[in-house]
Amino acid sequence: MTDLTLAVALPLLAAFVRPLFNAGALRWLGQLIGPVVLALVTVILFAHWSTFSEPFAIALGGFAPPLGIAFYVDRMALLFALAVPLVTLLLWPGDDGADGARRQSLTLLLAASLTGLALSGDLFNLYVFYELAAVASYGLVAGNGSSAGYVAAFRYLMISALGSVVGLLGIGLVYFKTGTLNLAELATLGNELADPQGLAAFAMLAIGFGVKAEMFPVNGWVPEVYGAASRRVAALLAGLASKLAVLVIVRILLLMFPSDEARQLLLVLGILGVVSGELAAYQARDMARMLGWSSIGQLGIVFIAFSLPGEAGLVAGVAAALHHLVVKSALFVLAGPWGGAIDRLRGAATVSALGAGLFVLFALSLLGLPPLPGFWSKFLVIGGLADAGTALHYLGMAAVLTGTVIEGAYLLRVITTLYAPPAGSPAPPRQRGSDLLTAGLFGIALLAAAVMIDPLWQTLDALAVSGVDTAAYQQTVLAAQEAHP
Amino acid sequence: MTGSLDFLLLLSVVGVPLAALLAPSVVGRWLLVLLYVVQLVELALLGSGDGARSAVSFSLLGHSVGWQLDALGWFFAMITVAAAGFSAAYAAGEWGTLNARAGLSLRWLYVGLQVNVFAMLVLLAAGDMVALFIGWELTSWAGLLLMLLAGGEAIAAARRYIVYAIAGGMMVLGGLLMTLAAAGSLQFDAVAAAIPTVGTSALWAITLLFVLGFSVKMATMPFHLWQAPAYAFSPAPASAFLGAISARMGLFAIALVAIKLIGIVQLDRLYLYFDALNLRNLLAWVAVFTAILPTFVAMKQNDARLLLGWHGVGQGGYMLLGLVMADSLGSAGGLLHVFNHATYQAILLMAVFAVIHRTGTADLNRLGGLVARMPLSFLAMLIGIIGLAGLPPMNGFVSKWMIYRALILEGQPLLFVATVISTLGTVLSVYKLLHNTFLGQLRLEHETVKEAPWSMTIPMLVLCVVVFVTGVAPGLVLEYVAAAQQALGLAPVAFILGGIDSPAGTLDMIWVTAILLAGFGIGAVLFYLMGGRSRRVHQLDNYAGGHFLTADVRYQYSDNFYAGLMHRIRPWYRGSFAWAEEALVSTFGAIATAARGFFEQANPAHWVLVGTTLITTWVMWHALV
Repeated sequence: MTDLTLAVALPLLAAFVRPLFNAGALRWLGQLIGPVVLALVTVILFAHWSTFSEPFAIALGGFAPPLGIAFYVDRMALLFALAVPLVTLLLWPGDDGADGARRQSLTLLLAASLTGLALSGDLFNLYVFYELAAVASYGLVAGNGSSAGYVAAFRYLMISALGSVVGLLGIGLVYFKTGTLNLAELATLGNELADPQGLAAFAMLAIGFGVKAEMFPVNGWVPEVYGAASRRVAALLAGLASKLAVLVIVRILLLMFPSDEARQLLLVLGILGVVSGELAAYQARDMARMLGWSSIGQLGIVFIAFSLPGEAGLVAGVAAALHHLVVKSALFVLAGPWGGAIDRLRGAATVSALGAGLFVLFALSLLGLPPLPGFWSKFLVIGGLADAGTALHYLGMAAVLTGTVIEGAYLLRVITTLYAPPAGSPAPPRQRGSDLLTAGLFGIALLAAAVMIDPLWQTLDALAVSGVDTAAYQQTVLAAQEAHP
Repeated sequence: MTGSLDFLLLLSVVGVPLAALLAPSVVGRWLLVLLYVVQLVELALLGSGDGARSAVSFSLLGHSVGWQLDALGWFFAMITVAAAGFSAAYAAGEWGTLNARAGLSLRWLYVGLQVNVFAMLVLLAAGDMVALFIGWELTSWAGLLLMLLAGGEAIAAARRYIVYAIAGGMMVLGGLLMTLAAAGSLQFDAVAAAIPTVGTSALWAITLLFVLGFSVKMATMPFHLWQAPAYAFSPAPASAFLGAISARMGLFAIALVAIKLIGIVQLDRLYLYFDALNLRNLLAWVAVFTAILPTFVAMKQNDARLLLGWHGVGQGGYMLLGLVMADSLGSAGGLLHVFNHATYQAILLMAVFAVIHRTGTADLNRLGGLVARMPLSFLAMLIGIIGLAGLPPMNGFVSKWMIYRALILEGQPLLFVATVISTLGTVLSVYKLLHNTFLGQLRLEHETVKEAPWSMTIPMLVLCVVVFVTGVAPGLVLEYVAAAQQALGLAPVAFILGGIDSPAGTLDMIWVTAILLAGFGIGAVLFYLMGGRSRRVHQLDNYAGGHFLTADVRYQYSDNFYAGLMHRIRPWYRGSFAWAEEALVSTFGAIATAARGFFEQANPAHWVLVGTTLITTWVMWHALV
């Protein structure tokens, strides 16, 4: 069981070892170290996933909580943790030029901290891993050395730093009220946080962790960063990092603040995210920014889904999050050569038929064309909203449905541009083989999910049952605590 | 030998790669026509009303999803497959070869046609509401495939279409999931059983979402703007296919959900102002306005394709009107009109595209006098417009008669008068179509025009025979209409081979046709008894303002047709809906720009503080209340 700590420790170690093999005879080892470590971590996590029977807790180094670092492992944590090395491997940056080694180090650092976010069972550790992930992403965004990259990274830094301060205030407030930061213990103290102060703490935590989760209104960095960063970094941040931040917010919501008000707040912010993101994307003339805004809208849907009470909400949220993870990562990869002004892409389908076909596939899934997985995730979200049936939920339903219409308008604009007759010179940009391979793998995953939609749903359902079972969470962690007195 | 639904669906799936493989060659295209014949035979073997169930079913997210073709779906499916077959045949010969040379991808055209057929079969054979929605969305997107093919102005029309289509689809999805929340299941039986227990406001929401969503595809008002250009600018076979049947999928879905599952009794229960205006009346009025306004919009079109496209919208209004009357005569008229419209609309579009094929234009101000050059196309269009205008002995008359009769019997004189106004517009504008294309003076540049090739005229003429035969003997079709009515839970119409024989009214088209022909016969006899005096003139000779104009005087009087009438009624064309659409889009654009501005401000970090402050205020408000 303790080998799970390797999932965090190995990439972290590799991140610091990687620069040592930057030059010289062992340079090939440096190239290998990242992919090998990530593959190893994937295997470890997959072994746990496939043999998983019931949730368990790990007290790192034998130091029991509340003093030690606690990992809590359930299906949901494992699923998101498994996604980290897998997706990072798919989006692995090649070593081109002097920056390669640094970029790979930072990517490993990001992977380690994101895995940590998935597994941590302690508010303080969550914060530490979150900050670590943030630092790694600043570096990655600024990493391409362009002035736009620095500007974007600075913009990101400002928002993220302010957000972290607010989040830390929230953590402080929780500690002040309860005297503990262990999620399991906090879960037993639900009553103490069920007052306006507790609600304020939740709001602050949501804002703090919401920066990375692209939550409205602290997502002003998104279009700038995705427009300036390399597309693989954008894919990593939009696809992967945002989901882990969402997971943190969901854990906090489920364990610490099971109140209607907290859910309501998440719902309202989700609705605002959908509306503002999709509207802005409609006016985008630049591919990467359009995808960024659309990703804000999609994450709004994820928040709306997680705000729904009970298992239904968790299933819908995880489905929407995973779908967005696959689709948006792939779209950003395709936006690599196809970045910049959308008008530039006239006739791109004639030179990259496969790329255009993949773009259409992902766009259709995003719009929810049955039987693609995007339809089922939308089905779950809107079904949950219709079931909940308050005025605010109907408003959320209207926002998601209207958002889809807007999305259709701008995605079809891109598709018709791709398939339009070429404008002559300059020739439309061609896709690179490596990007097509990556996007193709995501595409295969999407189609496989469409075929196996029912088993997937059953898995998610089982995951949700244990996810909402806060009593099991408490017992497991507190039992582990007693085992290490 | 009986058919199997699975085999039919399999055939239409296999047809897609086959179409991609075979479409480039002439022989391949005729093989694809054969494939439609096989599908049609398979469908015919299935038979109407058995409720053939597919062996394929899925359990998806706790919903059982399966397919079953009842008499209603079968009726629509027959029309769909036949329409695709005729369109495929039309393009198989010279049309395909020449247009492929001009840059059209026949591969995509035939794939698109087959994908449409498959998607529509998935919709029409839906055995539950999940399958219905899957079919609905597939149909919407498949239609887009055909609309995008022509490029140019078709692209703009297709983009507009897809926004409308997604909006419709999302309304349906909303209605679907509200139904799930209310009924706890998406099986047809369970939904129908649960509907009477649903509260009024929820039922309003569900019904409106479904009906509005489905009616987007019908292009009933106020969603009527997209259809005519989207259908008209597609390549000829696609246009004929879409114009014949695609929009009717909306009618099918409305019939299925609003009439069969929700029930006409429930529509009556939903009223806006006591009993005076319930949802059913409202739908009837929407239908009748859809029958009137687009028809008059059609009249002022100068592109023959658009003229027909707008008529397609208008005739949809008749169908919906008949259907919501929901008595045996009216609903049968509405359903019969689906078949009738598909036949004559296909003829008309094929004739117009035949003219385009030979002259390169569909501009009604730049044609005329082609009757001697393209006599078969003229004959086809003549029969088509008699059908469209609803005059005996063609089939359009029968269905319209049934709808009129139902309106009178149901005590709806205002609706009846309104449909008469619509018919007036139809007659005027189809005459404009025929006249400006085939009559009047021939234009110089068209003197060497030849008749369209047989591969294009044969499908038209075969359809003409269908229009005439089903006009004289509507009982041939009414048999299946009655079965479809029963599948909907409505009283089936009492029919005979020649038409209707029920206490509600009697119509025997065999007699009507006999009298009509006898009238012509008597006229002919009189004419020849009087000496049969006639004077043959050259086609370019003309007569205007009391003077004979000989062939050397060029006098084109089809330009600005109906100038006098248009002078009177032009102020009525306000373009209000187009204006409203434009206003909506630009308002939306302005809001969207503002949203973009939010993300592009110089210092977004302020928003962390603003957000925190707002949320803290909200929390304090919670603490105080």
